[in-house]
Amino acid sequence: MEEIILKTNDLTKKYNNKAVVDNLNIEIRRGEIFGLLGPNGAGKSTTMNMICSLVRPTAGSIELLGKNPWKQKKEVIHKIGYIPQELAVHGNLKAWENVELFTSLYGIKGGELKKAVDESLEYVGLLERRQEFAKNFSGGMKRRLNIACAIGHSPELLIFDEPTVGIDPQSRNFILDKIKESNRNGATVIYTSHYMEEVEAICTRIAIMDNGKIIACGTSEELKRLVSNGNEDITLEEVFLTLTGKKLRDYAE
Amino acid sequence: MIRYLMKNNFKLMFRNTWSIVVMLLGPILVIAVLSSAFTELLKSYEGVDEFAIGYRMEEDSIMQEYIEILVDEGRKNGISFHDYPQGEPLDVMERNGLAGFVEFSKEEYVIYKSADYEVECITLEYFLGRVMSESVKGYLEVMCPADNAEVELPVSQLDFMPSVNAKDYYGIAYIVYFCWCGMICATGMLSSEKKYGIERKFQVSNISNTQMYIAKLVPITLTVFGGMGIATVVSAVLLDIHWGNILLSSVIVFMMIFAGSALGMMIYSISNNLAITMIALFSIVWVFGFFGGSFETYMYSSMPEISKQMSPIYHGTRALVELSCMGQSEYVGSAIVYSLAIVVVCFTIGILAGAVRKRGRA
Repeated sequence: MEEIILKTNDLTKKYNNKAVVDNLNIEIRRGEIFGLLGPNGAGKSTTMNMICSLVRPTAGSIELLGKNPWKQKKEVIHKIGYIPQELAVHGNLKAWENVELFTSLYGIKGGELKKAVDESLEYVGLLERRQEFAKNFSGGMKRRLNIACAIGHSPELLIFDEPTVGIDPQSRNFILDKIKESNRNGATVIYTSHYMEEVEAICTRIAIMDNGKIIACGTSEELKRLVSNGNEDITLEEVFLTLTGKKLRDYAE
Repeated sequence: MIRYLMKNNFKLMFRNTWSIVVMLLGPILVIAVLSSAFTELLKSYEGVDEFAIGYRMEEDSIMQEYIEILVDEGRKNGISFHDYPQGEPLDVMERNGLAGFVEFSKEEYVIYKSADYEVECITLEYFLGRVMSESVKGYLEVMCPADNAEVELPVSQLDFMPSVNAKDYYGIAYIVYFCWCGMICATGMLSSEKKYGIERKFQVSNISNTQMYIAKLVPITLTVFGGMGIATVVSAVLLDIHWGNILLSSVIVFMMIFAGSALGMMIYSISNNLAITMIALFSIVWVFGFFGGSFETYMYSSMPEISKQMSPIYHGTRALVELSCMGQSEYVGSAIVYSLAIVVVCFTIGILAGAVRKRGRA
């Protein structure tokens, strides 16, 4: 059996006594690409933030590589690569300076740092543009730079929070390929997105979350079987809408 | 890791053209405009011609011994003392067109001032204050001489402060003001962090709150110091502003920049809002400057002494002005210690506020 890299036990987060994440129990095994789907306000980002030790849980616990990321942050945080939904790069820094800055935060320095910067930029196809300022990049290039900034320290777990928002199909395709490549190279991936076809294309297991709870979890095929009623052409989007309903969600996460 | 963070913070600050322009051109322009505007005002103080003062000395006054020196030193400083043993002081002043009158009794003296000679009377007060303090020192040395020491009355070596000109005074005062507001050069770096959600990424890393704080505070301080260094050199070359003791002046300027940056960073840590930080910082510095009497020429400041002594800007400005015109100042120590205390307090509160805010968000 594969090693469990991330496990949550009754993980709960409440704001004003309202549970945003409600007794969440998930297990993610090493080598998986785990997709987390859910409508706005389902609690996906809060869950990600708790895993990254950005938001403290109200109750329950998280085990990341056997350690509590809140109590043993220094021992475990460098094993995470967090790619936020925002384009978290400095516009007034050049591409290589951005990667150097974020990679150095994990204690990498000198020649090792320089090598990591070049490798990260090459990985996302920006090595040739290393001397350009990030503010001059297109949306897709900024997304790729955002990824380069998170992989320089060779993390074991990559957390992507909607990394393909607002970019062209070529850039999206490139990013998805790179996520699969990272996974083949040994990284475990947690991936959230609203694009069902992306999730279906790259994730080995998918959890659908609503109102702070996991309402279904399994492979794409397993999820389809849950609601198909014999319909073999059912899509993941139909599964999603069947499980979460068609009512508009106007929550702010 | 902090080295790379600091290096990139330097770059972010230097690549923000607006803040560099404000930092370098701001002080120069303000000094040029204000020193010119205030030259006329200051002339009314420094343009005091020679004036006459009457005095009366009681026989048992301890000032008997020093009256000749006092008259001599007064003459050198444009004050002519005339003895009037008889008559009511106010009548004598009016009859003889005197600016003031001093009655020396046994252990004290009383100054009568003419309303028509306000500035002359302030000068007289300052002059007598210096004479008396030197006289006390001399008296003690006479009464308790060191073994085999030659007794010398220090009052005979009175070193009066050369008058400071408007350009020097306002040049220094506004460099000091910009030192305290130097945090403005960090707006590019801080707004970029905020705008792009970079602080969150820092939190998913091994860097601590304290390291993040230092990685901002040090580049801000050094950048402002560099900027003020350039502004100072330009002000000296173009506007002929004298800085006196360069080493001590640099230490004081550095410490004030350090204190101003720590104060700004503390406000930012508490408010987590750049606009609030700038408004609060400028307001605090303005209050320090105004109630510290630093926007008036300090020798003629109308602010109460306690209010001035409480202002770190007063200590810094006074030390720098005295270094400029006398080459020494008793305020050097207090300016440095005051700034250092602000750095320590603001640094501690800033770190704590950052930790509390982080916990609150969590």
